[in-house]
Amino acid sequence: MLDFSILTENLDMYLEGFKTTIIASLIALVASFLLGTLLAVFRIAPFKPLNWLGTIYVEFIRNIPLLIIVFFFFFGLGFDGLTSGTIGLTIYTASFIAEAIRAGILAVPKGQMEAARSSGLSYGQTMRIIILPQAIKIVIPPLGNQFINLVKNSSILGIVAGLDLMYQADLISSRTYVVFDVYIFVALFYLILTIPLSLGVGYLEKRLAKSN
Amino acid sequence: MIEFKGVNKYYGDFQVLKDINLSINKGEVVVIIGPSGSGKSTMLRCINHLETITEGELTINGTLVADKKTDINKLRRNIGMVFQHFHLYPHKTVLENITLAPKKVLGKSENEAKETARYYLDKVGIAEKADAYPSQLSGGQQQRVAIARGLAMNPEVMLFDEPTSALDPEMIGEVLDVMKALAKEGMTMVVVTHEMGFAKEVADRIVFIDQGQILEEATPAEFYANPREERAKLFLSRILNH
Repeated sequence: MLDFSILTENLDMYLEGFKTTIIASLIALVASFLLGTLLAVFRIAPFKPLNWLGTIYVEFIRNIPLLIIVFFFFFGLGFDGLTSGTIGLTIYTASFIAEAIRAGILAVPKGQMEAARSSGLSYGQTMRIIILPQAIKIVIPPLGNQFINLVKNSSILGIVAGLDLMYQADLISSRTYVVFDVYIFVALFYLILTIPLSLGVGYLEKRLAKSN
Repeated sequence: MIEFKGVNKYYGDFQVLKDINLSINKGEVVVIIGPSGSGKSTMLRCINHLETITEGELTINGTLVADKKTDINKLRRNIGMVFQHFHLYPHKTVLENITLAPKKVLGKSENEAKETARYYLDKVGIAEKADAYPSQLSGGQQQRVAIARGLAMNPEVMLFDEPTSALDPEMIGEVLDVMKALAKEGMTMVVVTHEMGFAKEVADRIVFIDQGQILEEATPAEFYANPREERAKLFLSRILNH
């Protein structure tokens, strides 16, 4: 049976960590979405150097462990744990989001680009107003996956003293000598974030499908 | 106003357009016909630089279309285009489809753009669909919206790339009627189509193209009564006798 006194007696630490996890996840979510979208456009833009830049970024970043990216900022550049973790999460997740959005862009019929361009809109305007809104709608399910992964991956902050949920749990565990119960409560806190995220993505998918 | 001079186009080793020479004057309706794969759509799409010519000169009002120094976005404002598959923006309403380019490209105000859009929607006969999404319209209605979208930019010329080929037979008439009205108002039009009735009635000139070459250029009366080229005779006999 779970020992709920672990939760109640350390509630302030759990909540402190929970708050940090939320902040780091939110910042990384918005930033990785923007960066990922930019990279996706880089990869398909009619300008070779941008294609290369996008490809190098994606292939390099998604093929190394997240932990090493975080270590780079923490040990290499000397940022604090929270900053290193959030930047690392952003950079890492952006490579996956870029691939999802690129797939979405390629799934938008070619005629959309032609119609918009032939009306005098620039490439950038066409991307922003015509192509990306349709592309993102198509890839909402895989984007949802990436966002859920991002929230869970934020537990990496615990390793570099990022003050998040995992870090606080480590402290509680080493103080109380309890392992199992402490981390079960951590899992529950993550679920509080990820389940609504899942539902939200599902809702968005349904609502946007209607306008078609 | 549109001038092809010795235009060639290749896809790799394959030559799609062979020494195209054609000039289209203001107010003229030119219909391009020919078998599929003959290069007629490619030729049309070169005019607004959706396709790039490989050799030769293509000018619009004296401006070289394929020149690096030409501001293609500026040139395109002046050229409306209607596609076989409409290509309306599915995430925008009919009104938004029409007002987008006037607002973003010409810098018109929301109200001004809406007023123009409603005027042209009324003109193509579907004023009541302003707030619908494209998916809620029939093919014929969608194509009429696409025409209104082109007209709202107040272009000097309209290009039509097989505008009725994707439509149910019942809906072809309503689109052709809009195009006929437009032609009568003096719009410069270049039309790729298989609609021989339309060509006969509206075209000032018919251009017959096969295997990337212009084989014949004539008034509809001349062309239908007495095509000079064997290939044109064969083509006509195949599409008229059924």
